[in-house]
Amino acid sequence: MIQNILQYLHSNVTPGEDGNLFWVVVYVLLVFAGISVGVIFMNWFERKIMAHMQVRLGPMRVGPHGLLQPIADALKLIIKEDLMPANADKIVFWFAPVCVVMTAFCGFIVVPFGPTHAITDMNIGVLFMLGVSSLGVLGVIMAGWASNSHYPLMGSLRSGAQMVSYEIAMSMTVVSAVMMTSMATGTGTLSMIGIVQAQLQQRTWFAFSFFPVGLTALGVFSIAMVAETNRAPFDLPEAESELVAGFLTEYSGFRWSLFFLAEYASMIAVSSIATTLWLGGWLRPFPNLLGGKNWDIAFSLVPGLTFLAIAALCLFYFTRMPRIRAMRAESTGLAAFGGVLGVIGLIMMLPTVRVRIQDIYWFTLKTGFFMYLYIWYRTTFPRYRFDQLMKIGWKVLLPISIGVVVMTALIGVRHELLALVWK
Amino acid sequence: MSEKQFYDSPLEEVEPGHTFLDSNELVLNMGPQHPSTHGVLRVILKLDGEKVNGIECVIGYLHRGIEKVAEHRTWAQFAPFVDRLDYTAAVSNSLGYCLAVEKLLSVEVPKRAQYLRVILTELCRLASHQVWLGTHVLDIGAVTPLFYTFRDREDILNVFEKYCGARLTTHAFRIGGCRYDAYAGFYEEVLHICDDLGPKIDEYRDLITGNRIWMQRTKNVGCISAEDCIAYGITGPVLRGSGVDWDLRKKQPYSSYEDFDFEVPLGTAGDTFDRYVVRVEEMRQSIRIIRQATEGLMEGPIIAKVPKVIRPPVGEIYSSIEAPKGELGFFLVSDGGPMPYRLRVRPPSFINLQALEKMATGSLVADVVAIIGTLDIVLGEVDR
Amino acid sequence: MKITEMLRRFFLIDLLEGMWVTFRHQNPADLVTEQYPLKRPDISDRFRGQPRLLKDENGKLLCTACGACALACPEKLIKVGSLRDPETKKKVLTDFDFDLGRCMFCGICEEACTSHALSLSSGYELALYTREGMELDKDQLEKGVQGKVYEK
Repeated sequence: MIQNILQYLHSNVTPGEDGNLFWVVVYVLLVFAGISVGVIFMNWFERKIMAHMQVRLGPMRVGPHGLLQPIADALKLIIKEDLMPANADKIVFWFAPVCVVMTAFCGFIVVPFGPTHAITDMNIGVLFMLGVSSLGVLGVIMAGWASNSHYPLMGSLRSGAQMVSYEIAMSMTVVSAVMMTSMATGTGTLSMIGIVQAQLQQRTWFAFSFFPVGLTALGVFSIAMVAETNRAPFDLPEAESELVAGFLTEYSGFRWSLFFLAEYASMIAVSSIATTLWLGGWLRPFPNLLGGKNWDIAFSLVPGLTFLAIAALCLFYFTRMPRIRAMRAESTGLAAFGGVLGVIGLIMMLPTVRVRIQDIYWFTLKTGFFMYLYIWYRTTFPRYRFDQLMKIGWKVLLPISIGVVVMTALIGVRHELLALVWK
Repeated sequence: MSEKQFYDSPLEEVEPGHTFLDSNELVLNMGPQHPSTHGVLRVILKLDGEKVNGIECVIGYLHRGIEKVAEHRTWAQFAPFVDRLDYTAAVSNSLGYCLAVEKLLSVEVPKRAQYLRVILTELCRLASHQVWLGTHVLDIGAVTPLFYTFRDREDILNVFEKYCGARLTTHAFRIGGCRYDAYAGFYEEVLHICDDLGPKIDEYRDLITGNRIWMQRTKNVGCISAEDCIAYGITGPVLRGSGVDWDLRKKQPYSSYEDFDFEVPLGTAGDTFDRYVVRVEEMRQSIRIIRQATEGLMEGPIIAKVPKVIRPPVGEIYSSIEAPKGELGFFLVSDGGPMPYRLRVRPPSFINLQALEKMATGSLVADVVAIIGTLDIVLGEVDR
Repeated sequence: MKITEMLRRFFLIDLLEGMWVTFRHQNPADLVTEQYPLKRPDISDRFRGQPRLLKDENGKLLCTACGACALACPEKLIKVGSLRDPETKKKVLTDFDFDLGRCMFCGICEEACTSHALSLSSGYELALYTREGMELDKDQLEKGVQGKVYEK
């Protein structure tokens, strides 16, 4: 029995493929916890980064530098009164947030954090993720319908239309990335782990291959994913200063926090797709160019060093905190937080740990870059009006993405074409 | 049009068997409490899907009876109340009122006081335009310029605090001149503001003006022609955005404005983008005026000889200034006593608000907030 | 010119310029939040805040109970009570009621005072939980209203 469980540690396939139920459950719980922590961190991170870009400080009081703010928010939302509109459709009203959250989290089944660190590796991985995120649109429309009021209904229809239109452009660019996996060997793959391994084999991230096709595909995808998740500058359905309120109007308390959780989780999900397809997934920088054992060890020390650097920053801020009695709890909290991060950093320097952690670290770093882009867009750009938004989705992004697909196809058959021309 | 007539939309006459989705007109209430109406303004929209068919404003939620209050206060006691009209630009209102009473009394204000007044009024114009810029851009969706403009406004409000003791309700001027002289460090701080603000306005240009999303949201939105502006009696940047060259500082100079060299920016198309550009350019010209006034400030008295209890001769007068929002006018009727017989304020925002119907009819719902923002109304002035 | 304009539009240069502006404001030296009450704002000398009755070097109130401030106030919220001292034939101040709840801090009373006794000082922490505490009497005006001092 124990043998069965431990046998996974020496295998080189994901637990889903191995059929190892225990490890599958462990991974499911780890991924669920990780994404929840990610969402909570995103809440804090967004508020702090938005505040810094707006020359102010952001949350500083609740916990040192606002670190406990998301927990305070979550608590407040949980203890709020649960309202339901009078003539609302009760079952649909209850089910809409559940649907959105489930689809957002289901996509993480195939996201690879490392060569074997995925819950499972379906051989149609990318298609599965896109399909599951499309189901999320259903939840949005259900939310508007169940509110029994025509403003949320119209808002949810607009939201749904926006998500569907930009999904098409997204899928086209995904097709182009999948086509690129077949450039070297002649056979491509839809599996997420396979796509990253193809990038490793072709010695380049797909974002930089066949310049500028890869970069254009990444650019179109990163614009379409912002519109898909209803974030600025495409967040008209959610805007506060608009008249037609969004589909979230009638939801309060815990149900609202489920929508919010699903929004951030789907942001992380589409960022994971972008990372896997174009930025090389879990690969460290220059795995081929700077290959070899020494380089491997050097790069595997980076996660530990990052944590130690953040711990040093915490301790630096601790020294700058005011030394008055009322701030004692916060100061000790910050010092303890710095201490914990330092200990984690040291643990991550141990050889047995750092080999397994480094893939997850690089993956998280790249996904975090996209999260930062999301926040950056939100602080900088005004909102698009709905008709302008739809115009961009259909008349600008879709032709560009079809062009990218055609270019990738032409590049794929370039040898045959050239042979044909110079016959 | 009576209220009943306005609300009689086909919504109530839907035949049995049809749902509300079949009728094509919707009455939407953008209520007094709304993040985008810049105060307590109620806007009733008649919508056909996304298009606005009719619009009606309901005002009066901030009416405080200031004109009635004026009849029971002496001329000098009423000065603090004037700050509360357009509360984002209190110094301007003070200037308008003091000039009107001085005209009634035929009192000559000393030159030094006039230059001090110009410096503070132009600083106030900068502050008011910064509030407008931040809130207008926030309504359209960009959240950061609000914080940048309010940060820049802090310097100006600090100057006001050091000069007269309050940041917002300044009570800066007295009838006959200024009460306070420049404090130690006044010139340095004011010139520092002028130097700092130029690059910051360039920052706003990088962040907003050239941004394609901004241009798409504001070009051809809320157009009004020059003839309509003149017909409605609209003044201020709204009028200049439509191309009419009318600025009271140039056409009917008051308080030594003729001594200064500045330009009046004009727009061409009369849309939201042109009004935006006009106001940002006005900020740059204000900086020019402040620099000239600070460098040209001469010595002398700061207040004229005015009796302790002001009893103007019997008569009436109308005097107006170019406030940041438009032409702010005061019509004063004196019966020889210590209190005004009648004081009427010509509020620029109230008269500019008439254009909302003309501008917003036929546009989309999402543009209504942009149009209310571009008119730059302050409900304290609209309702008094 | 047309080519550069087209390239600017194609490569989203205007959007990137905007993003650069927001990015560089993250510099910690630029953040302007004042964390009150750890750092209190600087108040200018001419600040019109909490009203105080001033005393001379001997500790005697400067107020001569002339009543000019009560006449000057636009809101008529000052009430000056006085007695005539039989020996010196001068007025002596007995009551001085100031309704802080209706005061708009305009400063006209300070200007009208003939003996520089009434001054609007730099106190700004005047909030109370009940309306009754807003009517200040002579002793409170001498001592000044003590606001609650917050630590964090």
